[in-house]
Amino acid sequence: MPGPETDLLQGTLDALILKTLSWGARHGYAIGRWLEETSADTIKVEEGSLYPALYRMEKKGWIEADWGMSELGRRAKFYTLTATGRARLRAEVAAWQRLSGAVGRILEA
Amino acid sequence: MSWRFWQPPLTREVDEELEFHLEMRVRELVSEGMTPEEARAEARRRLGDLRAMRRRLLHLGKERNRTMNRTEWLSELRQDVSYGFRTLARNPGFTAIALLTLGIGIGATTAIFSAVNAVVLRPLAVPDVDRVMLVSELYEGRPADVSIGNLVDWQAANREQPMFTGLGAINWRNYALAGDPPERVLGAQVTAEYFSVMGVAPELGRVFGPAEDQPGGARVVVLAHRLWQRRFGSDPSVIDRVILLSAQPHTVIGVMPASFDFTAGTEELWIPAAFTPEQRAQHDEHYLTVYGRLRPGVTREASQSMLIAAQRVLNERYRNENGSRLVDVQPMMQQFVGNAREQLFLILGAVVLVLLIACANVANLLLARGAARARELAIRASIGAGRARIVRQLLSESLALAGSAAVLGVAVAWVVIRTLVAAAPPGVPRLELARVDPATLGFALALALGSTLLFGLAPALRTARTDLQSVLRTGQIRQAGSRRDWLRQGLVSAEVALALILMVGAALLVRTAVHLQRLDPGFDPKGLVSARIALPAESYPTPESARLAFETVLQHLTVSPGVKRAALSTQVPMGPGGGSNGLVPEGKTPGPESAVDARMRLVSPGYVGTMGLRLKSGRDLAPEDRAGTPRVMLVNETLARLLFPGLDPLGKRVLCCEGSATDPRWKTIVGVVGDTRSGGPDQPAVAEFFMPLAQSPDAAWGWINRTLSVVARADGDPLALAPAMRESLRRVDPSLPLYRVETMEALLTNALSPSRFRTALLGSLAVIGLLLALVGIYGVVSYLVTRRRTEIGVRMALGASGRDVLKLVVGQGLRPVLVGTAVGVVGAVAASRLLAAWLRGVSPNDPLTLGAAVVALVAVAALASFVPARRATRVDALEAIKAE
Repeated sequence: MPGPETDLLQGTLDALILKTLSWGARHGYAIGRWLEETSADTIKVEEGSLYPALYRMEKKGWIEADWGMSELGRRAKFYTLTATGRARLRAEVAAWQRLSGAVGRILEA
Repeated sequence: MSWRFWQPPLTREVDEELEFHLEMRVRELVSEGMTPEEARAEARRRLGDLRAMRRRLLHLGKERNRTMNRTEWLSELRQDVSYGFRTLARNPGFTAIALLTLGIGIGATTAIFSAVNAVVLRPLAVPDVDRVMLVSELYEGRPADVSIGNLVDWQAANREQPMFTGLGAINWRNYALAGDPPERVLGAQVTAEYFSVMGVAPELGRVFGPAEDQPGGARVVVLAHRLWQRRFGSDPSVIDRVILLSAQPHTVIGVMPASFDFTAGTEELWIPAAFTPEQRAQHDEHYLTVYGRLRPGVTREASQSMLIAAQRVLNERYRNENGSRLVDVQPMMQQFVGNAREQLFLILGAVVLVLLIACANVANLLLARGAARARELAIRASIGAGRARIVRQLLSESLALAGSAAVLGVAVAWVVIRTLVAAAPPGVPRLELARVDPATLGFALALALGSTLLFGLAPALRTARTDLQSVLRTGQIRQAGSRRDWLRQGLVSAEVALALILMVGAALLVRTAVHLQRLDPGFDPKGLVSARIALPAESYPTPESARLAFETVLQHLTVSPGVKRAALSTQVPMGPGGGSNGLVPEGKTPGPESAVDARMRLVSPGYVGTMGLRLKSGRDLAPEDRAGTPRVMLVNETLARLLFPGLDPLGKRVLCCEGSATDPRWKTIVGVVGDTRSGGPDQPAVAEFFMPLAQSPDAAWGWINRTLSVVARADGDPLALAPAMRESLRRVDPSLPLYRVETMEALLTNALSPSRFRTALLGSLAVIGLLLALVGIYGVVSYLVTRRRTEIGVRMALGASGRDVLKLVVGQGLRPVLVGTAVGVVGAVAASRLLAAWLRGVSPNDPLTLGAAVVALVAVAALASFVPARRATRVDALEAIKAE
């Protein structure tokens, strides 16, 4: 549902996924695991929201999916960043830095 | 394998991905010490409601696939189209010919369509214009103008049996608009109903109502947008200003919108008709144009029967004035567009023929290229391109071609419209509105697309159907060859047939033009200039004052330097004005049956000499033929024959124009002049008579609106006399404009301009059509030569001479030409009948013209096939055989 909160959350999740994929192709489970490990205590990512986010971003053309072999020799769907996705990530990072800088200055004032 | 190529069904994709996730999680949890059962439950719990998620993913996936398909389709289309453009660029010769062929075809068709659109299709800016009817008297089977009395009585009948919301009348008149310089403006007296019948509201101010449309009502005027712009600088404060019209002050009360200026030549101001009671009672003078707006639900036929019933009563009541008139009710649009409609549709037909030739040509070109590209397409098919994809690729090529052709065509159309509007004879209504407008552009695009399908799809399907295996092996198309040849030759036959139809039509018009150019007009146009002078009734109320004014102008002009002779006339040949009257020869009982209708000319003595008319017998009119002396007239040969067949008309008397049973006012024929083609060189001579102005009945000044032509003959350039004419008029009345200053030679040229325009147009279309057909013939013969290289080589190896080969190839090339010619002759005989109304001095199926066109066509066709055939004779026999 649209709304400021979910938008922020969804936008953040999208940005995190894009970041994860910026190091290379990953399947959905690996993306989820990485998000859990790096941000375990601070941000709680609902596992249920991961796949819808992936499908949405695929539709927007930010990421692409290919079927390939997983590390355990099983067929899995791997996601990679597209050129659009890469540009999107850069924009998200810049926006985030502006926001956190501003909020930081206010809070430290 | 990339999933772009192998795409699992969506449900499988979603299930497999979720299953993979759960499996991985279970594996992880088990490694942390859980039992498989516990791990499985925990993994499911963490993912949430699995069913809802699955539904959500399926939905998102469907949307994703749709987007991606569209993107993919677009990118493939882009690929195809850009490939198409590159292919076109790689074959500049083919592309140039195809583009020119199509561009000219589309351009010419679009231009003519624009003209048809402007003149015929675009409705007038009148709401529900198809409900507005032109209501005319039907006199001897022909629509005629309406008398005021009949209009008044029709209005009364319409009140009893309401069929029209109203009946409004318009009567065009010229006005001298005071100012510097004084200007002659075409205006109209209209009844108050006129504006409501048209249903157009003024742009500024108001129109007049019934109170002002009364004798003695306020003198008001409504201006046309054009006049308001030209003379008053679009100044809104013009309302309530008083302007002088023919020396009478009129208050401006309104300005009509620009859309109410139906054509460039329509009236520019409206004044209340304000009929007097005497006028409303008269049924004898028929000069009104009447329009009516049908009430909702009333048909044209019903309104017509109502008016006819009313008119029958009127005919009984006013037997002499009305005779046996009926009433004609026709849509206004039909009258407005008139015969320009037929003319434009005929030209449109000719243009469509050219377009068809163009399409056939390009189809042929594409067919030939399809054959040449057989190997390329076979390779594409063998590396996995589907048939649909190949067809689509070929189609995109055609699309690229048609798209470029449409752009070129619009450019061509723009130029052609410009030329058309500039070259068209005056009087084609609304032609000046023709431009490349969106509708026309749509037409061009539709044509481009239609052509694409027409000539793109057939060759594409044909190519896709060929046996690719055999093509790959031999590099040539084996089968379908004979059918392909049949199609190609059929196309050439069609082109030839269409071109022949155009050529015959053009040739007939050219022969007409030559014939008209050689015709004797019946007078000597060299050194003659004419101009019009109109005296306002307000300043020259009595016949004597008008007569004196004109005679004084003529006296001044006669003694002006450079003027050899000068005269006055109500009408000069091909000029405005005139009128006709019934003449009853001596010995017949006066009545409509014995009267001979003839054009009346009221002239000053010396008119015959000034114009260079030929006096066949008797004497010319003389200054002594004045009021009080015996009444005399001259007749032309046609009238003499009609009045007194087989007799010498000299000295015979006729009744005409005036008089009554007790005072017959006989006029004696004192001379016979040769016929003139007064309506223009393409019109037959009509019966005419000439009466001295000095003896004309007083009422005649009203018939001619106190307007005369003055003609003068100069030694040198006739236009050099214009200042002298102006000065002569200025010395009599400086407020009056001299207008329509034209030389007789210019009038003759103008009178022929419609015919010249048609001839030039159809002539150029025929030339284009012929050229296109030649390109087609050339292409087919070249193709034949290429295809039969081996055979020709063998023949030459076996001793055939170059002549034999030439004969063989040219013979082959001419076969479809002869078939096309045969079909074309039949078509031309049928189509030329449509031209009959425009032909003079040549019959529509003139065998000489037909024969000449056939010979010319076959000769150039032989030439077109001779060029590639010569190439065949240079085939090196050995090489040709080895190449197989």
